[in-house]
Amino acid sequence: MKEVVRKGCTVFSDHGPAFGWDGGLLRKGGRVIKETQLTGEYGAVLEKEQRSFMTGNEVVAWAALAAEADFMYGYPITPQNEIMHYWSRLAPHFGRGFLQTEDEMAAGFAMLGGALVGKKTFCATAGPGNILMQEPIAMAEMMQIPGVWIIQQRGGPSTATVIYSQQELRLTTAGGNGEGLRIVYSTASHQELFEYTIKAFNRAWQYRFPTFVLGDGYQAKLREAVTLFRPAAKGWTLIPAEPLVRGPGIPALDREPVHLRNTFNIEEELYARLEEQLAAYERLTPEVVEWEVEVGPETEVLLVAHGIVARAAKQAQKMLNQQGQKVGYFRPITVRPFPGTALRQAVGANPNLRLLVVESAYGQLLSMVKAELYGLTNPIDTLLKPGVGVTAEEIVATVTKRAPKEVCHGG
Amino acid sequence: MADEKSTVVREPTKNPNMPLSWRKETKPHRFCPGCGHAMALKALGEVVDELGILDRVLYGCDIGCSLLSWDFFNFDSVQTHHGRTIPVVVGAKRARPETIGIAYMGDGGGYAIGAQHLVNAAQRGDQITAILANNTLYAMTGGQLAPTTLPGQKTGTTPYGREVRKTGSPLQGPELVAAIAPAGAYVARGTVGEYQQLKGYLKKALRNQMEGRGFSFVEVLSTCPTNWRTNAKDTWAFLQGEMARYFKVGELRVPEPAAPGEEE
Amino acid sequence: MGRVLEAYVGEYASGKSENAINRGRQLARKGRRVRLVDLDLVEPFYTLRPLKRRLAREGLEVLAWETNELVGLGEAAIPIKKEMTTALAFAGDVIIDLGYGVDGRKLLNLVAGSFATDNAGARLRLLMVVNTTRPLTSSVPLIVAYIQEFGAVDGLINNTHLGAETTVELIQEGAVLVTEAARRVGLPVVATAALRPYARQIGPYDRMGNPVRPLDRYMCDAFW
Repeated sequence: MKEVVRKGCTVFSDHGPAFGWDGGLLRKGGRVIKETQLTGEYGAVLEKEQRSFMTGNEVVAWAALAAEADFMYGYPITPQNEIMHYWSRLAPHFGRGFLQTEDEMAAGFAMLGGALVGKKTFCATAGPGNILMQEPIAMAEMMQIPGVWIIQQRGGPSTATVIYSQQELRLTTAGGNGEGLRIVYSTASHQELFEYTIKAFNRAWQYRFPTFVLGDGYQAKLREAVTLFRPAAKGWTLIPAEPLVRGPGIPALDREPVHLRNTFNIEEELYARLEEQLAAYERLTPEVVEWEVEVGPETEVLLVAHGIVARAAKQAQKMLNQQGQKVGYFRPITVRPFPGTALRQAVGANPNLRLLVVESAYGQLLSMVKAELYGLTNPIDTLLKPGVGVTAEEIVATVTKRAPKEVCHGG
Repeated sequence: MADEKSTVVREPTKNPNMPLSWRKETKPHRFCPGCGHAMALKALGEVVDELGILDRVLYGCDIGCSLLSWDFFNFDSVQTHHGRTIPVVVGAKRARPETIGIAYMGDGGGYAIGAQHLVNAAQRGDQITAILANNTLYAMTGGQLAPTTLPGQKTGTTPYGREVRKTGSPLQGPELVAAIAPAGAYVARGTVGEYQQLKGYLKKALRNQMEGRGFSFVEVLSTCPTNWRTNAKDTWAFLQGEMARYFKVGELRVPEPAAPGEEE
Repeated sequence: MGRVLEAYVGEYASGKSENAINRGRQLARKGRRVRLVDLDLVEPFYTLRPLKRRLAREGLEVLAWETNELVGLGEAAIPIKKEMTTALAFAGDVIIDLGYGVDGRKLLNLVAGSFATDNAGARLRLLMVVNTTRPLTSSVPLIVAYIQEFGAVDGLINNTHLGAETTVELIQEGAVLVTEAARRVGLPVVATAALRPYARQIGPYDRMGNPVRPLDRYMCDAFW
């Protein structure tokens, strides 16, 4: 079986046509676009669809522009700073906004304010900033206020380092004081950073659960070629943002006032609300999950990795198969919701299949994999390097040695 | 005219004492008897009516007793986490500048857990109106020390009275904001003990935002008989006596030139 | 030939460091004394630091931090090393790798004598490295606007490439854009820089008649 399950962006909305590149902005907010020649030149970058040589952070800024994000609220933290730098360079030319706030909590809550009044808002953070950001994300989760968060993971815990790390997987997928009702895409290339950032905006405003693009310092700073484009040119329909408060009409005269809260009195009231949300999340899961898998009946070792490490894993798989080893590959693209059914299918048919879970963290992906494979007895080997990069050669060496470290329990 | 965009004309109501902005369905209000919030909110509702901005208001409150105002009004509202009212309202205002953003909070929310938001919104000159009720303690959580607790005042966490040497002196919020806000700021301290004066301050604070001048901040000296454990007479005496002596009522920043129609 | 004093400037990720290193090595191979200065204060990821010892073995004096001299290396920005402020006070050639940033050439205010002429009449020349596959320098008007925003420079270097996807044609198309932009602002194109295999195919001059500078890759080993 070799399949890549990615969900298209074309089917999301019947809310009418997408906003146009220039005129749409004027229609949307009545804002005056600075009609300089540069604006046209910047716009043309997306129109031309040329290959561009960029860093990952720049890609995200362009993707937010292409997704017609209205406003970024940001607070500096390495390694995501250039997202703010490039957004604040580009945004004025397109009538978009930027505010540097006093901290990540303010950035997150300001995002929610902007989304409440009907604008597409986003921010980017990392590490300790991601921790602070969990507070507004929890409110977004409870009140189903849409928003897009770009997480460029850094090493942890605490301040630590800024490049190689997948240690924010657990925080990003399950942070906050609730059930982690979020959508999280883990990207592995600049092209994916561009496309999944656009997709994240659509998912966020379609399902109204907090939506994340989980990158890392390496992707943020890596330079590689990418093709930027306008979503409409690919037939992707952008879902427009709708105001949750301050919609049309005069409250009390034309309509009821909108009063939103996240506080409840009794457990049953909260439980009823959560049941609804959990059911909604269960419904969206099959629509949203994405993965890549290459496995066959003869496969002996299945490499499991996400994000940038999956790129090394794929390379390792190729190298090992060239050596005559029978190695497969599984990569969750959505790490929340996790493509558990697909993983179980890939593993379950073959009780002799060994897994090798590889990550730049100490078992954060591993615990997700184990939870999904509960009851199966396939051995699980690991290559866990918290806060350190993983090369294809290391994966090859680990497979070649085949030293079992972890075994899946249950049965 | 500053409020020429205003679209809401106050309709004659059956009860002339109830502003259109007040939501009848949620009255009587759920604050404790003698609570200052009700007075401050009544004044705010009347001012919103007089300015005719009901349809443009986004009202934010947090958790703390101000939570109980979440459905107090007929304008749109959002309740956020403790101390985070200002960033939510700032975010909305920045994204849609025609919004009249009102951030309502207590002294814990504004001066402790959310102090960074007050300080930075003030120094950025964010065009919102922040209203902070100062009752010298954390009321909803059962009467603990707040930045505004008076020296010697007993609270749940200063059972022997606030010792300045250990926990500092009461924070002077409007003085702080007045010192850091750029030109165009309106800063005042009112009291529920002087209703008409308070209304005037709130009106100027909202006008200041409508005219796009800058940050507007009104601290309201408020009452908490429940946590003060005071009867009506002692409540009034504490408000008008000890509190008013420490926290001076008046205007600290009035942008020049004064807008017409502000001489109430 | 007097002292060669050059600062490589330009848009983020345009190839400043690679060009600075190669220029330094080219001069060193001629037996000249060369000092290479890492003045990238805002992009601590691709810096000369990891290459310092290797370049020193090749005869260059490198002014850059050592890993063990700092804590929190990845946090932008890197502090300026005090020797860098007097980097130009050196008897030989000085090549400066200048980081990107909205301050443009103002960063050179941190280096004493950046805008002065020495006794022999030599002065620091600012060479702007342009990769036309970078979105913000991807057309003639954008390159012109970038130069105008940056401030006065002495010449342009066409460094158009797409990493592993580079072709000779792509480099030549970049040369056309860079040369036209240079013409509009009245600057020379100092060179088209290209990795050695491409340079060999292009020959000594590119399509627009600019000299071709062959590059060896160093920065791929510099990423952290």
